[in-house]
Amino acid sequence: MGGLNTALSMGLQSLDATQAALDATSNNIANANTAGYTREVTQLSENAEGLTGGAIIGGGVTLNGIESVRDELLNLQIQQQTSQQSSADTESSSLQSVQTLFSSTGSDIASTLAAFSSSLAQLSANATNTSAQQGVLTAGQNLAQSFNATANGLTSAQSAADQQVTQTVGQINSLTQQIAQLNAQLSPSVVSQQNGGTIEDQRDQLVQQLSQLTNVSVTQSSDGEVITTGNGTPLVMGGQSYNLQTTTGSSGFQQVLDSNGNNITSTIQGGQLGGAIQVRDQVIPGFLSSLNTLATQFASSFNTAQEAGYDSTGAAGQAFFSVPSGSAGAAAGLSVALTSGSQIAVSSDGSSGSNGNIANLSAALTTTLPSGQTPANAYANIVYQVGSAVSTANAQSTALGQSILQLTNQQSSVSGVSIDEETTNLIRYQTAYEAAARIVSTVQALNTVTLDMGATQSY
Amino acid sequence: MRVNPNMVPDILADLQQSQSTLNTTLQEVSTGKSVTEPSDNPSASAQMVQNGIETANVDQYTQNITDVMTTVQTAASALSSVASSLTQAVSLGTEGANGTNSSANLATLAQQVQSILASVVSDANTSVEGTYLFGGTVSTTLPYTADSTSPTGYTYNGNSDVNSVAVGDDLNVPVNVPGSQIFSDSSNNVLGALSSLVSALQSGNSSQISTATTAVSSAVNLVSQQQGFYSNAEGRLNAQETVLQQDTVTLTSQQNNLIGVDEATAATELSQAETDNSAALAAAAKVLPNSLLNYLTTPT
Repeated sequence: MGGLNTALSMGLQSLDATQAALDATSNNIANANTAGYTREVTQLSENAEGLTGGAIIGGGVTLNGIESVRDELLNLQIQQQTSQQSSADTESSSLQSVQTLFSSTGSDIASTLAAFSSSLAQLSANATNTSAQQGVLTAGQNLAQSFNATANGLTSAQSAADQQVTQTVGQINSLTQQIAQLNAQLSPSVVSQQNGGTIEDQRDQLVQQLSQLTNVSVTQSSDGEVITTGNGTPLVMGGQSYNLQTTTGSSGFQQVLDSNGNNITSTIQGGQLGGAIQVRDQVIPGFLSSLNTLATQFASSFNTAQEAGYDSTGAAGQAFFSVPSGSAGAAAGLSVALTSGSQIAVSSDGSSGSNGNIANLSAALTTTLPSGQTPANAYANIVYQVGSAVSTANAQSTALGQSILQLTNQQSSVSGVSIDEETTNLIRYQTAYEAAARIVSTVQALNTVTLDMGATQSY
Repeated sequence: MRVNPNMVPDILADLQQSQSTLNTTLQEVSTGKSVTEPSDNPSASAQMVQNGIETANVDQYTQNITDVMTTVQTAASALSSVASSLTQAVSLGTEGANGTNSSANLATLAQQVQSILASVVSDANTSVEGTYLFGGTVSTTLPYTADSTSPTGYTYNGNSDVNSVAVGDDLNVPVNVPGSQIFSDSSNNVLGALSSLVSALQSGNSSQISTATTAVSSAVNLVSQQQGFYSNAEGRLNAQETVLQQDTVTLTSQQNNLIGVDEATAATELSQAETDNSAALAAAAKVLPNSLLNYLTTPT
């Protein structure tokens, strides 16, 4: 048969449990806007009931702990999509600066090519006019300069992506070190649910940041989380982190090495790092190579036409454009070789008034180059590729953004703090606490009554 | 199922979306262009490269036609002056050949023909802005200069080449006839015929005068043939100008189709975007501050 003390101890347990629930609620409210915080709920269970003299008496409540509510699968999906979106964003912002080079600004290749073409048409009607000759020369110089500026713009975007690689590797190393530290704190304290929850929140937040930088794969092992890059290079194993390194490669760009010194650059995908490497090693070199081919073939085709005629002094035409040998750097090094408008090979027969070769010069702008395209089409093709690369990256980022938003909503519906819910709980626990306190005071009153029995004075 | 308690990310995404649409439509309305950078429409941007080159060329071809037209018209009027001079010489020759003229009359006629010769030579040396029209492609040297050793008294310094001017893609219109084909071809020689007429009139030999007059008549035919060339060229240039005007219209409309915006659509989209943006902002302002706390009374 339970005495008054049984009720008293149950009242005490109830006070403890309610106190813990109030703690959890106030912590939830306090961290309602903390990034990465997952809401905590109090885990209560009823104690085994006792059988006393044929009567079943409840055993009160036990506080099992406070648990953070999270969904690991959702976290994983968000991490993966974040790293894909971050890769697309990096590509998009790198290429954004590239595509302005190909926008119609008046100094882009399309505009200067058009001006060059019309300057030749003008020369056709005024073959002996020195200002028309100078016009062609200037238009040719402008065209060469826009090739230079475009190639240089592409190269500097490439260098910017290269710097981003170095910076991102530094950030990855800093994050993996922090994660390893948290892992080390987490593994012994994993028994204490409440403590583990907070550290786990921090760690999840860091892994989330890490997945923005590169695609990572997260698995659980006996001594904490194991994090590897998408292709399996270890970054964190339990309490140990493995730093990535960078070194200057043969191309002059930074190569990413794993902790053992193996070059893993080409296997890195996703995240800022993957995006930057993709832009630097694949996308921009593709544009540059097309541009260099165009510069080389166009210069050669135009020079051939120029050399077929005679200039205003009656001398055989010399090369109009000078282009560095070897196709790399052709666009960046393209320049006009002629120094005077009178050197333009307008004449087909050597007489100064002839304009017979201008048709050949103009034709060089519209005839098919060895690449199978006219200069304008070859350039238009590059414009298309650039525009398409940016718009694909943008579309990818938008689509992934939608998907991440939905996943985040789902995650929030599991782990997010609802002020309304917490307020309701607050009222609930307040009432429960008041009731538990009433038990204690009631038992105290009853004890007083009991002690007063047969006593001359009241206790 | 627990409902997502945090509406901020959704609301922010909506606000950003409507703001971005607003920016885009505003830009479209203010610039009149739907494509300002290649990523807006890669395919249209690529086609605009060709369009830009063609537009610049068509403008220049039109300018070329204006320039060349001056040359062609000047040459045509020079030739018509030559033709009337020659007709005049024929009538003078005919008058000289009728056998009733005194030697003084013949000398006067000879002088008149001599001055006609001088005016024809001057016509043959016509230039526009320093470019001689009848020297073939040797356009900077006087085509006909006096030369006592030549049977006609004049030497041709030009060549027999023709310049063609670009007035369209793959369309180069020949714009000159070398002097050698007008004033001195293999069977006819305008200057030669005139010189012979002068000598014949000076000699007073009727049959010689008559032969020389016939030669001048056939020279008239030669000149009128070449006048045909110039009027033909003028016709081609005028026709091409019409074609170019049509091309300009086509290119402009292509440009509008590729990168332009339809003003009405753009304005409608802008006002739609404004409404959307205001609605999103109003909804956010209404929903965000809502919580149970607003309705709870302070515990006493």
